[in-house]
Amino acid sequence: MNGSQETANAITNDAAPALRVAPAPHVYDTRLTTRRMMLDVLLALAPVVGMSLYNFGWRAVLVMAVTTASCLVVEEAGALLQRRPSSLGDLSAAVTGLILGLSLPASCPWWVAMIAGVVAIGIGKLAFGGLGQNLFNPAMVGRAFAMISFSKFLGAPAYRIAEVGGIVSQATPLTLARDAAAEIPALWPMFLGTVNGSIGETSVLACLLGGLYLCARRTASWEIPSGVLGTLALLAGLTRLLVTDASIAAVPALRLSVLEHLTSGALVFGAFFIATDPVTNPISRKGMLVFGAGVGFFVWLLRSFSGYPEGVMFAVLLMNALAPLINRWTVPTPVGGPVPERR
Amino acid sequence: MAMNGPTATERFVNGILPENPVYRQLLGLCPTLAVTAAMKPALTMAGAVLFVLVCANVLVSLIRGLLKPHLRILVFTLTIATFVTIADRLLAAYLYSMSKALGPYVPLIIVNCIIISRCEICSSKQGVVTAIADAFGVAFGYALALLSIATVREILGRGTWLDIPVMPLTQGDYGWSVMILSPGAFLVMGLLLGLWNWVEKRRARGRLGASAPGA
Amino acid sequence: MADDRAVEEPRQPAAEGVALSEPPKGGALSQAWLVLVMATFFGAALAGVEHKLGPVIAMNKLNETILQVPSLVPGAVETTPDMESAHGKNVFRALDENGRLVGWVVQGRGQGFADRIEVLIGLDASVATITGLFVLDQKETPGLGDNITTRAFRDRFAGIGTDVTLVAQNTTTNREAGVIQALSGATISSSAVCTIVNQTVNEVKEPLAEAARAASVVRGDR
Repeated sequence: MNGSQETANAITNDAAPALRVAPAPHVYDTRLTTRRMMLDVLLALAPVVGMSLYNFGWRAVLVMAVTTASCLVVEEAGALLQRRPSSLGDLSAAVTGLILGLSLPASCPWWVAMIAGVVAIGIGKLAFGGLGQNLFNPAMVGRAFAMISFSKFLGAPAYRIAEVGGIVSQATPLTLARDAAAEIPALWPMFLGTVNGSIGETSVLACLLGGLYLCARRTASWEIPSGVLGTLALLAGLTRLLVTDASIAAVPALRLSVLEHLTSGALVFGAFFIATDPVTNPISRKGMLVFGAGVGFFVWLLRSFSGYPEGVMFAVLLMNALAPLINRWTVPTPVGGPVPERR
Repeated sequence: MAMNGPTATERFVNGILPENPVYRQLLGLCPTLAVTAAMKPALTMAGAVLFVLVCANVLVSLIRGLLKPHLRILVFTLTIATFVTIADRLLAAYLYSMSKALGPYVPLIIVNCIIISRCEICSSKQGVVTAIADAFGVAFGYALALLSIATVREILGRGTWLDIPVMPLTQGDYGWSVMILSPGAFLVMGLLLGLWNWVEKRRARGRLGASAPGA
Repeated sequence: MADDRAVEEPRQPAAEGVALSEPPKGGALSQAWLVLVMATFFGAALAGVEHKLGPVIAMNKLNETILQVPSLVPGAVETTPDMESAHGKNVFRALDENGRLVGWVVQGRGQGFADRIEVLIGLDASVATITGLFVLDQKETPGLGDNITTRAFRDRFAGIGTDVTLVAQNTTTNREAGVIQALSGATISSSAVCTIVNQTVNEVKEPLAEAARAASVVRGDR
């Protein structure tokens, strides 16, 4: 980009009448900034945050505040170390921190949340070179680090806070699905969000509200969530058709129906808010569909057969690693037909 | 070329920091990542490498006049393999638990590029004294790298240092399990390597600034 | 023979290529004498080391097993120093202070998640129940699978009858006989241990029970 512009400048300096040639995009909107996109995401997260306060109260506030604060501090420290202007204003670190907070259980101790936040920005983003350079979704890098390090505080048992009572003391729907003897909660509470889970994932309704707003504003591409949800629904439906009692006895999670899959766990939250991070997914529309489908497939696979009840985090990280490959497979055809192969 | 290499002192000093096998040459990374989950296996590994490196360097230096150019790698490997086997047996006999903890990584010293590179670079061309100094320098450099990574990983991962509790808070359930697992090895090595390069850069800039005040 | 020549022939030009760039002085022996001498010398040295250290290493391995016997079979204080074997498995007799047979310790091995797992299984004298389990050697994932070496996991096996087949399950509610609660995040390692125990116990059950009867008959005669 820079190189071609320099060449264009050189040509205009040499000869007075010149045709300026620059690569696309030729039409752009000055309002389309990182800051505007991130503001959109924060706005879209409002119903999710609201629902989390209703469900988990001050515990949710504490976790979200700690993750956001630690992300902002590390982002600023990185700017100081690298001697570049502060990048807090683009709000990307705030969004990473908030999404990370929303993906943790309410019982998460503050220091685990802080370590997750520091790793998210420090290793997930700054180590790769800052915004736009990171290979993996920073929030999920932070969560995976904390999850593997402190499985006691982020694993399935950590979600049950006995002393609070109510929904918070119950097992999460996907943990129940793993136990052949247990019953999966009804669909309506799972849709509204009056079940236990990570802070921001419980309410499908709230996530859908925010998510659809993001898609309508084109801040998030609709291809990714539809790829995730569509593939998971398809696989869950096929499983229900083919599965036998014997296989359910061996793998209890296979009994989840399509709607139970779609309304439980972090699926909708992940599909709209985590998988759509524009830095870490493919560029073309076709690529985004493939990316979404891959996330959906891995979520189904991990939910059914892995050691963990939920698989959104690892599914997104896995597909992040494949995003460059998907980009190479799905080079879009430019207007006027395919580029002829160079010989 | 044959006799005018760096002196013994230079070899010794270079091996520790300026040509550190891990941080500067990026050699022998597989065992570096594998045995640094705790201090004790890292120390044992460093000791085994020191033993093999000194023995191999001395022997190769003694027979350097007899080496045929096209058979030299064969001779190096033969020598190293013998001393590695001796080290492995010694560990199994007298440090059985450490030998179990290190698993296949002691026998794998045979293919550790650090040792064969010292045979090629130094001991097959220089005298015994220089070769011994070189072996000690490089082995200390390797030990420094192993122990620095192991320190971070053991303190964060288990809350202990050389099995002595140092951080009551990070023991048991509070340990960072990821530090004991292989991702921790990569992360810590990458970050320490980054830190090392950063320090080197600053030092280089400082030298430049001192010699040319105008710059 | 014809095949040998077919392989050998294409290598001829390559050898000549090397020879052209660097003419060898003398024959094969004058080239390789150093390698041959060193190989002989090193071989002798290693044989010496093995001769000296081999028994110590074997003793280390045996000691590790013998040390575990009292913790695997209740009431046992010592074992016969010589191992026996049943169906190719190493077996140690667990004896109480009077030298009476109170149980058996059997070595079992099988494929784990990462590599081979070696366990010691404690059994009572009549091979009716498992009395204990110890993991001798494993290379499972640190932090997850290697928890099979913890007391908490190994104790889940003690007291289970040898007539049931063990299965590892992700459950906290299932209390059926033979169901071992799997380690979270390490179902495969947990299942592997169950499989090893099942196989080993099934193979040694008959011969050991027979031997125990024989031993008690001998004692009864006295």
